[in-house]
Order: sequence, then C-alpha cells, then structure tokens
Amino acid sequence: MPRFLLHRLLQGLVSIVGASIVIFLIARLSGDPILILLPNDASPQLIAETKRNLGLDLPLWHQYLIFAWNALGGDFGRSYRWQMPALQLILDRLPATIELAICGLVFSVAIAVPVGVLSAVRPGGWTDRFGRVFAMLGQAMPAFWVGLLLILFFAVELNWLPAFGYGGVSHIIMPAIALGWYPVAAQTRIVRSAMRDVLDSDHIRLSRALGTPEHWIVWKYALRNAAVPLLTMLGVYFAAMLGGAFVVETIFAWPGVGRTVVEAVFSRDFPVVQAGVLFTSILFVLSNLLVDLAYGIVDPRIRADR
Amino acid sequence: MSHWRASLLAALLASGAVGAVAQTPKPATGNLTIAFAAEATMLDPAKSAAGVDQYFFGQIYEQLVRPDPSLKKVNWLAESWSVQDDGGKPVIDVVLRKGVKFHTGDTMTAEDFAFAYNRLRDNKVSRWSHLQASVESFEIVDPYHFRIHFKQGDGSYVADNLQLWAMSKAYFDKVGDEEFGKTPIGTGPWKFVSRTIKEDLKLEAFDDYWNPTQRPTVKNLTVKIIPEDLTRVAAFKTGAVDWIDAVPPALVEEFKKMPGVTVASYVSPNNMYIAMDAIDENVPMHDVRVRQAAAHAVDVDAIIKGVLFGQGVRYAEVGPGELGYDPDLKPYPYDPKKARALLTEAGFPRGFDIPCYNLTSPREPYQKEMGEAVFAYLTAVGIRCKVQGQEYGAWITFGRRDRPGHIDGFYSNMWGHGLPGDAGTAWAGHVHTYVPGAGWGITSVHSDPELDALIEQLKATMDTQQRDALIRKIARIKRDRVAGGLTTYRPVVTFAWRDNVTFIAWPTPGFWRNLQQIGLKQ
Repeated sequence: MPRFLLHRLLQGLVSIVGASIVIFLIARLSGDPILILLPNDASPQLIAETKRNLGLDLPLWHQYLIFAWNALGGDFGRSYRWQMPALQLILDRLPATIELAICGLVFSVAIAVPVGVLSAVRPGGWTDRFGRVFAMLGQAMPAFWVGLLLILFFAVELNWLPAFGYGGVSHIIMPAIALGWYPVAAQTRIVRSAMRDVLDSDHIRLSRALGTPEHWIVWKYALRNAAVPLLTMLGVYFAAMLGGAFVVETIFAWPGVGRTVVEAVFSRDFPVVQAGVLFTSILFVLSNLLVDLAYGIVDPRIRADR
Repeated sequence: MSHWRASLLAALLASGAVGAVAQTPKPATGNLTIAFAAEATMLDPAKSAAGVDQYFFGQIYEQLVRPDPSLKKVNWLAESWSVQDDGGKPVIDVVLRKGVKFHTGDTMTAEDFAFAYNRLRDNKVSRWSHLQASVESFEIVDPYHFRIHFKQGDGSYVADNLQLWAMSKAYFDKVGDEEFGKTPIGTGPWKFVSRTIKEDLKLEAFDDYWNPTQRPTVKNLTVKIIPEDLTRVAAFKTGAVDWIDAVPPALVEEFKKMPGVTVASYVSPNNMYIAMDAIDENVPMHDVRVRQAAAHAVDVDAIIKGVLFGQGVRYAEVGPGELGYDPDLKPYPYDPKKARALLTEAGFPRGFDIPCYNLTSPREPYQKEMGEAVFAYLTAVGIRCKVQGQEYGAWITFGRRDRPGHIDGFYSNMWGHGLPGDAGTAWAGHVHTYVPGAGWGITSVHSDPELDALIEQLKATMDTQQRDALIRKIARIKRDRVAGGLTTYRPVVTFAWRDNVTFIAWPTPGFWRNLQQIGLKQ
C-alpha cells in the first residue's frame, strides 16, 4: 500500500508539473499584459523597462524556471491587476469554491444513488421512468439556467432562500443544486447500469437463494459492488466542479476562485491565472488519489492487489 | 429618450430642494445595502485602470471641480480657479476651499495636491501619466493656493475637471504605497470601512464632511457586487438590496410598473462606435465613399429600439450636455440604396469581404448583440462581415496601435469622456493619426492631416468658448468624412431604488454612480 501511494503521488506530481507548463505557455500565447498596464503615451523605453521588471523580456523557458522556483517557495508573484500577491488572492477564495464543489457533489450523489438504485431494482417501473426523465433534464439544462430558475422560484417567488452571496447554509443551497444538477444525470445512469450488472451476478442470486432480505441485498451487497464506477466518476466530477464553478459563482455572486481566474484570463493577469490553475490541478490530483484509495475500501480485492 | 430627460430634471429639482432646506443636516443614521454590477480593482486614483474603478474610489476621493446633477460644472475642492498667462505659457491658478478634512482628520492643503500631481505623473505608478504630460511644474503659493504651470496649452486639463484628486500626503508618508491603495483615505462623503473582493465594499458617512447640504444621510452603506443581471434584479425584488444600478434594458419597463419603486435613467458617458481601418490603402474603407456607405447602411435607430429596448440615445459625434454639441449636426440617415450606390461609385459594385471584430464579453448592455446587428446591416448592403468574436482581454489590446499590426477591418469599440465633458481627449486617441510614444492616436486607424491639426489646436486651447467652436468644427468634418469610425449611440444606464430610499444621481466621477446624496427616508 505505501508503495502504491508513493507511486500515485509521483504520478500526481508529474501531472501538476505538466499542468503548470501548459498553463504557463497558454497564458503567454493569449496576449501581452503590457498594453493593459501602461499609459497611452508609453514610450518604447518604458515598455521595455516594464517588461524587464515583470521578467517578460526573458526567454519562455527562463521565465518558467523562475516561476517554478518561486512557486516552490509559495511565491506566485504579484497580480498585475490587483497589485497584491496572487497566492493570497487565490487562497482567500479557494475555500468558498471547495465548499461549493463539495456541496454540489453531495447533492448530486444524494439524488443519483437512490434514483439509480430504484431504477435498477424495478426496470421499466415509475422510478426508472422518473430516473430517465430526470437524467434527460439534467443533461439538457445548463447550470446558469438552473441557477436562474432556482433564484426566481425559491428567492423571488417563495422568499425562502437568499438570491445571492456567501454566508450560512441557506446561501449555499441553490448554488450547490445548480452546480450539482448536471452530474446527477450521468451519475444516475452509472449507478443504474452498475446495479443492473451486479443484481444479475451469481453471488446476488446465491444471496437470494439463501433468503437474505431484498433490501439488504440491494443496499448493502449490490450497491457496494456497484460503487466503484461511481467513485471513479465522482473524482472526475469533483475536479470538474472546482474548475467549472465559474458560471455558478457568477450567477450567485459567490466569491470563489473560478470568477477570479476567469477575470484574470481576460486581463492577462498571468500570476493569478497560474496560481489559480495550479491549485485547481493540485486539488484535481488529490481528489483522484482519494478516489484510488477509496477503491480499496469498497472493494477488498483491489486492496489485496496493491 | 424622454424619460431620462425627465429623470434628469427631477434630479435637478430634487437637488435644489435638498440644497435649500438641509442647511444644518441631522447626523447620518441607519444602514443601507445596495448593489453594483461591476467591481473595481484599484481604489487608488493614480493606479486606477478603468472607469469602473471610479464607481468605488469616486465615493471616497474628490476633485477640484466636478459636474453637479444638472451637468453644470461647479467648484468643489477648489474655492476658485482661473487660467492665466505667464509669458505666453498658460498657468492654472487654484485657491483651495478651507476647512476640508481628510478622513484621518488632517486638513487638506496645497501640499496634498502637489503630492497627487507627482503621483499621477509618475508613469511607474500611474496609468494616467500622459494626462500630466503638458505640465511643466507645480508651484505651492501658500497652504491654500497653488499654480500649475504648463509647457503649452492643455485644454483637456480644463475639460477633465483639472485632473487632480485630493490625496493625503501625510497618510501616504505614514502607511506607504500598498496600504494607501488598500485602505483609501480621501475627503469625500464616504469613509472606507472594509472591502471583500468579489463580495462587497463597506462605507461609512464621514461626519466631518465639508459640504453640509449635499451629503449622504445614511450612516452605513454596503455595496454588494452582483455581476449577473437577473440575480441583481432578484436581490432587489426580494428586498436584500434597496438600490441597484444597471437595470437590464429588457426589464426597465417592468421596473417602471413596480409599486414602491423609483426608476431613473441617465445617458452613459460611454460613446459606442464602429472603428474601421482607413489607413491601409488596400482596405476599401480608405475610400471615404465606402465609409459613408457603411454609415448609411446601418439603421442605428432600429438597433436601439429592437436590440437595446430603447435604452440608447443616438447622436452625431457630440451628444447633448457636452461642450461643442451642435443640434444641427445630424447622424447619417439609414439609406441602404444610397449605401449600395456609394459602394458602386467607389468601385465595389459586388461589395467585398472584410473582417469584423466584436466584443463578446459583457461590458455595456447588449454590446455583443449590437455589434452583431451592425455587422448584419453592413453585410446586407454588400460589406460582407466575417465576424470574429473577441473576449475582453483580446479586444482591449487588439484596438491598441502600440501592438504589432492594427485593425484590418471593422471593430466594435467605445470611448468615454464623462458627462459633461468634451471630446478632445477621446478624439486625440481615436481620430488623430497614431504617433508612437506621443499619446496621439493610440487607438486610431485614421489619418487626416486637417483633422490632426485641428485636434492638436483643440488640445492646446484652454478657453472654453474657443474649445466649443473648435469641437463643432471638428465634429462636422468628422461626421462628413466618417473619420475615426462610425458613431452609433450612447447606452442609457438605469437605476432603481425602493421608496424608503432617497437618492439624487450625481454624474462623474463614477459615471452617474456617485452616491453623494443617498439616504433613508425618515
């Protein structure tokens, strides 16, 4: 197990370095921040001096090495736009995004698992039909639209929930639903499909023959066996939610890292883009590592293989 | 268009009423939460990078001169000022208002303006250093009297409210550059309390504010940042906020019918136009007939009505309320037949293909859709637009001339100079021929020696009446030659507030979002 963990950590490290190189290069290919930063009458001398001060006159590989070395020490540079440390800007907002992604994921699992299981247990029944319609709606309704509908209904019409902002539990309900809505569809389908396979397997038939109660078979034996593909998906979706929360954050005025990074892209604020993407990459790697470890918990055979 | 005029009149009348009655105001009390669509980045006037920054720091900092709600320029921190002659070189002589205090309690003096001048002219600190380029020296006569000596005339200095913001030198010396920007200290009606990026700005009414009659009457103000239009509207409808800016154009009529809500619309100082490459001889728009054809091809009135829900004001080069406004100068009428005839006359009977660049990131309401509509009208007469969308970062640098290359087709753009203001600075940027490193023509794809000479003359002219005449002259030539792009419209910005709120809209700084007079009804 320790060897497996070390191996996965090394793989994760390679992924993070790869991501940092890609984002570093793509950011610089997207344009030059100098023109946004300087006054209209900036002389060629001032342009050259500003480039030199920001290190933008060096070859790309040199710029990258400086960035990587400083990043190892926690220095991602100062935001060109906000004129404050880029790391601080990202870390101040990261908890809000993680909180939103976790709640979105919890919402999607809380809906997908029961609907998927019930659909598999009674194929063609009303839960199955409901599950299919639900899945179709989930795939067809983008997060911004779901978010606006939720605001109109629960905030404006019913006045039950706040329409925007960051605060207590009531503030996160609608953003979490808007973010978690889309993955519900795919997760429901995965759970249903995996459960169908497991429920048709020999060991389930044996359990039934031995007189094990049906609810015990479905919710304990079958669901545990069907959990592996769902776990794989959760790792991917958690990472996607971290990186893709921008739309939901904008709609609900949620002070997360997604809005910050997208706006930084618009203003060619390289330090913020690099810090934001790198931290999202780290979380992506960590979430996948956790998923790998969770495989061993739900399936002892995988644990034994390691 | 009439409703914004009516609103302006109402604001003017209300302003007069407040000024007359409230000579000894009660202390500010209560809490108010409002919402802005956009967020500033910098709270330091010298480091400001965009007009939206003024929505925030314009509540805290003040200038020597400013327009009042009727768009009349009034002395503000300046008790008086005049342009004088010093051996052929102009001098602006300023006497400061006495008894003005910074939020730290320090008294505002000429030293603070000398500090502001030095900070604003330093191109390592300020993005606006070019606006101080004509100044030769800053002379302090006494603590309440200073003179700005110019190398040559600089009319934009007068037009742009004497450029300088009151910044406390003592505070800067005490806290240093970073804290100066983080925790701003000005002389304005609002004191900075706190700011949470992406969430809100908290302000407190300044008890020792120098102007007893035109000031906030609410003690604590929270400005929430809600970028999404419908969420901002929902926040207002649910009572989470009592005042919002930028009511979406499509919802303005609905808001007007809402009971207990006041709605007021104001013309934005942003002027929308379609730039077109006229410097490249191989591009059809080099020919004035093609530019005129483009001007006749677009039905701007229909776009305002259909795309902007009427929330735009068409004008020809200089709008009402600005220096040099000429009511006799009319925009090009929509005439597609004439457009086609002009294209044929110019040698393009079958039209031509051309790149058309459109901003796709949110900026002014429905700007993307407006650009698409304009390009569709051009295509209909044979100027076949190959539309290319650009996000904000790409768009803002694409229009600059100090990048390699330049716009090679049509380009949806805007320029702003405040209201009231004059077009001198803006025309120097997008009509005058580009001169590298000199500040002229930084976004210009036009070159016309006659216009260049007139714009340079305008820049050097500090007398308001002479400026007025020059602007009229340039506007007519600009209109006839479709120089520096096709002027289209000014967006209308609409605010809404609940009836428990008192609000009088003040124009720049802050593009009408100045909260000089806001409060709760007692």
